[in-house]
Amino acid sequence: MYDFIKDPSIYNFVRGPLVWIAFLVFIGGSIYKIREMVLLAKKEKVVYPYMDLKLSLRSLLHWLIPFNSRNWRLRPVVTTVTFLFHIGLVILPVFLLAHNVLIYESWGISWWTLSEGLSDIMAMIVIGCCIFFALRRIFAPEVRFVTFADDYLILAIAFLPFITGFLAYHQWLLPHKIMVILHMIFGSLMLITIPFTRLGHMLYFFLTRAYMGSDQGYRHSKDW
Amino acid sequence: MAEVSVKEGVETRDWIELKRKPVADIGFDETVKNLTTEKIEKVVNAVLNIGKNAARFMAPLETCIHCALCSTACHWYLSHDKDPTYAPVAKVKMTLWELIKRKGKVSPEFMKQVARIVFCECNLCRRCSMYCPFGLDIAYQLGMVRRICFILGLVPQNILDQTHSLSATLNQLWLTQGDWIDTMQWQEEEVRAEIKNVRIPIDKEGADVMWCPLGTEPKVATYHIARTAKIMNVAGIDWTVSAQDGWDSANMGMFIRDMETMQRVVRGIYDNAMRLKIKRVVLTE
Repeated sequence: MYDFIKDPSIYNFVRGPLVWIAFLVFIGGSIYKIREMVLLAKKEKVVYPYMDLKLSLRSLLHWLIPFNSRNWRLRPVVTTVTFLFHIGLVILPVFLLAHNVLIYESWGISWWTLSEGLSDIMAMIVIGCCIFFALRRIFAPEVRFVTFADDYLILAIAFLPFITGFLAYHQWLLPHKIMVILHMIFGSLMLITIPFTRLGHMLYFFLTRAYMGSDQGYRHSKDW
Repeated sequence: MAEVSVKEGVETRDWIELKRKPVADIGFDETVKNLTTEKIEKVVNAVLNIGKNAARFMAPLETCIHCALCSTACHWYLSHDKDPTYAPVAKVKMTLWELIKRKGKVSPEFMKQVARIVFCECNLCRRCSMYCPFGLDIAYQLGMVRRICFILGLVPQNILDQTHSLSATLNQLWLTQGDWIDTMQWQEEEVRAEIKNVRIPIDKEGADVMWCPLGTEPKVATYHIARTAKIMNVAGIDWTVSAQDGWDSANMGMFIRDMETMQRVVRGIYDNAMRLKIKRVVLTE
């Protein structure tokens, strides 16, 4: 197995074509899913007439600010963990130094990056948040009752790229190169699964929030 | 599904957390005897096929991350010592997700339990949508399950009877047109004991306001009519009530998702408003 993974062709594959496939599936799949849902909403008589840009943005912004909505205030721990987790999940891969170096080597472009120490802390926070979510699924009765196997699966899909990236950076557990290969495989896996699993809540968040914000705002009510 | 004995004091064993004492309701207990798995499967799939073409139905199904943050919104959940089976997402899990998972192939007993959850343990108040980080319309989903139950006839007897009344008479409590006009004239006399020459104008064309009471007001709470008449007269509002059917603003069809009766009730009010050329409809609530 080790010899198989250490084979340069595997590294070349995950470093090149796999990443391309992952990004194409992620971007193409996302556009497809959003388009499908928007077209579906157009067919319904009562969705489009209520949609309002101002009310949608009002609702979106309101819910994207921590402790702004009543439910965020009612559950301070969950709120803190949720926001830290999602901020890390989006910011860290985009502004990580190592990722920027790879892009610079390929295309000669790079952008603002996080310091290595901060990245390390953020990775640990994301990993910790994943563990918190798993524990919450096990120990909070209302969450346990609605937990299915696929809930753990999508949590694992989000968890694996970060834990392998973290271990690769510290060169713990497995040889560096193997860990990096695993990291790239899991990262690609996550990108590919986003449009086609419930990780797609990343895409639909903006649509469902906009609908509920417009629907409530239309009645001069608030949805927070 | 395992057989459940009455001795245990629970109605179901589909989920060990779901503990409910059996409650008798003719609407559930009698209709469930006429159901078969084939009938249920047919109805469930027919309604879910409509759902597949509705974004409001599909988006929550594909978005819900099962975080159970909606639970704190639900007064059923809070008033039952945070029993997880009363959380909004749990109600969706025990009804809609299970029907989808089993493709509608469920026993009549299971369907009775579903009807009890959607009719008797949820008010479709949409408060959970205010607490959901995604703003998912959970009440709409449970409303679809109510629609399935309604088509199967699994509806609490009280509300089903009122819907039957609406579909036959366009009012909630089997009042005839004579009852209605007579009650208004009687109340006019009553108010005249306090305010001289007061009027409850019936079918006045071109009035500013048409008042649509609930069926209960002429039936059992006539003093509401007297009070409304006093308020309207003292405030000097040019008002009227409709003499023809379609004066009742109670819409029980909406609650059980009897869309056909629901739209007839609304149409009745609008038709009267157009007929009398009034500017504004005022409903009791």
